[in-house]
Amino acid sequence: MTRRAPERPDARLAAGAVGLVYALVYLYALGDLSTLPEAAWGARMGEPARWLDQRGLLQFEAIAMLEAGRVLWLISPLNTVVAAALGALLALNLDGAWALWRRPAACGLGGTGSGVLAAVPALLAGGACCAPSLLLLLAIPGLGAFAGLFGWLVPLSLVLLVASRWWQRHQGAPGWARAGLA
Amino acid sequence: MRTTPILALLLATTPAWAAPPLGEPAVMGAAPATYRDAMLSGGPGKDGIPSIDAPRFQSAAAADDYLEPGDRVIGVYHEGVARAYPQRILVWHEIVNDTLAGDPVSITYCPLTGTALGFHRGATEFGVSGRLVNSNLVMYDRASDSLYPQILAAGIQGPSEGRGLEELRVVFTEWASWKQRHPDTEVLSTETGHMRNYQRDPYGAYNPKRGYYAPGSRRMFPVLNEDERYPAKHEVLGFRDRHGAVAVDLERLAKEAVIHTSANGQDYVVIHDPVLDTGWVYRGAADVDADDVAFTEAGPRFPGQDALEPVNAFRAMWFAWAAFYPQTTVIGDDAAGA
Repeated sequence: MTRRAPERPDARLAAGAVGLVYALVYLYALGDLSTLPEAAWGARMGEPARWLDQRGLLQFEAIAMLEAGRVLWLISPLNTVVAAALGALLALNLDGAWALWRRPAACGLGGTGSGVLAAVPALLAGGACCAPSLLLLLAIPGLGAFAGLFGWLVPLSLVLLVASRWWQRHQGAPGWARAGLA
Repeated sequence: MRTTPILALLLATTPAWAAPPLGEPAVMGAAPATYRDAMLSGGPGKDGIPSIDAPRFQSAAAADDYLEPGDRVIGVYHEGVARAYPQRILVWHEIVNDTLAGDPVSITYCPLTGTALGFHRGATEFGVSGRLVNSNLVMYDRASDSLYPQILAAGIQGPSEGRGLEELRVVFTEWASWKQRHPDTEVLSTETGHMRNYQRDPYGAYNPKRGYYAPGSRRMFPVLNEDERYPAKHEVLGFRDRHGAVAVDLERLAKEAVIHTSANGQDYVVIHDPVLDTGWVYRGAADVDADDVAFTEAGPRFPGQDALEPVNAFRAMWFAWAAFYPQTTVIGDDAAGA
């Protein structure tokens, strides 16, 4: 066990980075984060009363705008919370999957299938943000018939990621704060 | 009868009273029930794509700061008022509920079918239902909640089922062209009340065409009828009335300047507008010479015009036109076999 201890912070860092990137990609796919053709700097407040207005399932209106160079952030507090939740849960799941995958090799418990299975909801979460973009990219009319279901991928991902994390902990995966002691 | 005044009051206050002005619809390729059954979710929910209900306008000079000459706008000239609605704004909202010279109107745009149409809206407003038919925007009116596919311009569900909307001619053209025809035009401002990146089109770009708008690209949603005479995204000028539907190849129209044609037992004159690169359609028999046509802010003027009846016409991606009007006549080039 002590042999693997130095690897845990690295794995945790990698999982955290993936979670952060995923949160940013989610906001980009949503249209909250985008690029500008020319650099601009500034901020503007919209209508704060619209913060609960929905564009779709778990997708909300932006109430402020931040221009930072070539990046434009349309700030929706609730979209940011959802992105952060998805990113954090994804990081926890990846960290847990890594820990469960490593454990059997050292301790002879369980099997590698446990870790792989734990990563399945994380992969589904990846689809949550990219499905509409994929539809546009692939332009497969048959796929368009299911566009109405894409909105359900986000809440489904949240539920599965929470369930999967619970299952990982039940299987003995270490908590985030205690990862280095696993 | 004592109940008559009460009944009249009730009728006057029901949502149907405030429904948009309705009339006889143009030809429909299928029954309303067929369109209803073919409706799909486009992704966002009802009003998930928010209409602009309190539009603000700016001068053409101010709009020059962010509009390129080749950018597409939807232009309308009504009772002496010229307004342009940039495509890059409407791609995020699809409907502007506006008032032109005191007339309540809605300017609508569907990015998936490349169609822009104007409607008289009466005392109500139109909104985006979140549904699609043949990839086309399905609007709803906020009084009766009836559903109307934009291209069909007729109700397919609700109290307005089977009735047609009153159309208002708009032109889907380039900013430089519109400004040339209407130098004093007002332009829809990006101060829409909503936060969007109006410098980004989620589907691609028109200037030049790429992404979803590229001629060789594919559509995204199923359609009721497929027709491969043209590539799916090829733009045609379509017009329809109660007699039938006609699609005109824009390149052929530009080449011939004026097309006289008969379709569905009716005579039509189609006049090319070289500035706006659009067509103006009239029903009736007339011998119009291109040299006799002068273009004003309100459109073409030519001898004998008063004896003809104007028919609304608009650009559309070919796949969408053919999907709604399988029996369409095509005035095309050789490639279209027409």
